[in-house]
Amino acid sequence: MLWMSVVVDNACTQILAALDGGAKPTSLRVSPVVYDAVAAVRPKEVARHYPLMLLGLPLVADHDVPTYDPVVA
Amino acid sequence: MLTEEENEALCRVGPGTPMGKVLRRYWTPAFQLGDLPEPDCPPIRVTVLGENFVAFRDTQGRLGFLDELCCHRGASLALGRVEDCGIRCLYHGWKYAVDGTIMETPNLGPATFRERVKHGAYPVREAGGLGWVYLGPPGTEPPFPNFAWASAAADEVVVSEIIMDCNWMQAQEGSIDSSHVGILHLDTLATMGSGPRSVGSFDFAGEPWDLDMQVPGGGRREPGQPPRPAVWPSADNAPRIELENTPFGFHYAAIRDATEPGKKFVRVTAFVMPYTALIGGANGAVIVVPRDDYSCSTIGVFRLPPGTDTATAARRGIDKAVWGPEPENRKLRLPKQDREAMAAGLSFAGFRGGNRVQDGAVQMSSGPMYDRAKEHLVPADLAIIRLRRLFADSIRLLEAGHDPVGRGEGCDFTQVTAASQLIDVGQDWRDLVPGHLGSKEPAN
Repeated sequence: MLWMSVVVDNACTQILAALDGGAKPTSLRVSPVVYDAVAAVRPKEVARHYPLMLLGLPLVADHDVPTYDPVVA
Repeated sequence: MLTEEENEALCRVGPGTPMGKVLRRYWTPAFQLGDLPEPDCPPIRVTVLGENFVAFRDTQGRLGFLDELCCHRGASLALGRVEDCGIRCLYHGWKYAVDGTIMETPNLGPATFRERVKHGAYPVREAGGLGWVYLGPPGTEPPFPNFAWASAAADEVVVSEIIMDCNWMQAQEGSIDSSHVGILHLDTLATMGSGPRSVGSFDFAGEPWDLDMQVPGGGRREPGQPPRPAVWPSADNAPRIELENTPFGFHYAAIRDATEPGKKFVRVTAFVMPYTALIGGANGAVIVVPRDDYSCSTIGVFRLPPGTDTATAARRGIDKAVWGPEPENRKLRLPKQDREAMAAGLSFAGFRGGNRVQDGAVQMSSGPMYDRAKEHLVPADLAIIRLRRLFADSIRLLEAGHDPVGRGEGCDFTQVTAASQLIDVGQDWRDLVPGHLGSKEPAN
């Protein structure tokens, strides 16, 4: 079972840290497992060709990113 | 967002479910002590965590919390007679003591059965106007959460319980959601005297539309009277959130720019796993307890000065047709939304009765069990995100044979509090809550 709550918590913590540091994040790099899980629960957004987003940032699938540790870019 | 599978895991609370197992490892506030006021008074039926129980106070004043149905033929003990240090089933007269001892079985002569078998009974404690029960395996109880307000005399504590027809997580997430306060509750802020406000392009006149609503300090703002001194000293609806884990769960600060130069407005909320949010100050809490998967109790517990009429205070300006503190009147029945007042700029939300009615309206509007796969969280939702994380961690820990997080080992619950204060821009909000033992590290 994928615990999305852990993924989201880790991502949110990173985003807030980036914002605190004066950065302006533009995307969130996630494991393909996470990307596919988000796509699976948002079929309407996929069908409308909207970008998949999490915490206000567009998702980018990246095989080098661990499942539970998204990377703010 | 959550996957559908994870949403189900976090929302369902019955016996044997992942979250049901977790919640049974904490003390659970299950009923109001005021509903069992004296020895041998009528028993009450209690629904909590998807199970039904009977609570009663025996001849010696001791509380009993038992499985509801008689273990003989399954009649409800809530119909029973409370007498001679026990509760007797009406059907065939089987009688039980507060600890589940089967005292009498009139239609079964030999004592063999009652000597070898006990009825389901659970530890129960009295604190803060509530009866707290432990529904987990015997011998696994955590420290009892002795909050500062829980030790107050019974006539100094007011308990107001609102039953809502929605899954408990909708109410629980609302209780720790700071960024909605300056928007959904604009009517409250105006009544409190913060003056004209605006959200986006909507200018709100700030008239005392909800005249029945009581405000901090007691009383009401009357037509033609000047506003009360502002107690919400900020117009910042996008607070910065700083959050730390603690031995009891987590605490966070919602930090807003203040209208006063050189100051910031800080609201520190403490969340005590798994039910309790301390919001705004030290004299009370909001407790959300699942009754079953589709209904919950939101319990406000507030400590009041001695001599306060607690029965009046419990109602807090909510119309009797919408809700009342009486046992048969605790389910929230939403009033008609006043669209005319909204259009006229007299009300933002259009729901009279104050914050809890407005909260109930939006929380129940998501349906009986909200599907969190559809949502778009933002970084300002960090407290909600961390709440789910701690529950998910607890499920995984319990399945691995460990205790869930935030059971309060080593924690002095009398020091757990909340704060709402203007402080200097350079001051650390943690100074306001030194007893929380916060840590930026994850809980496990």
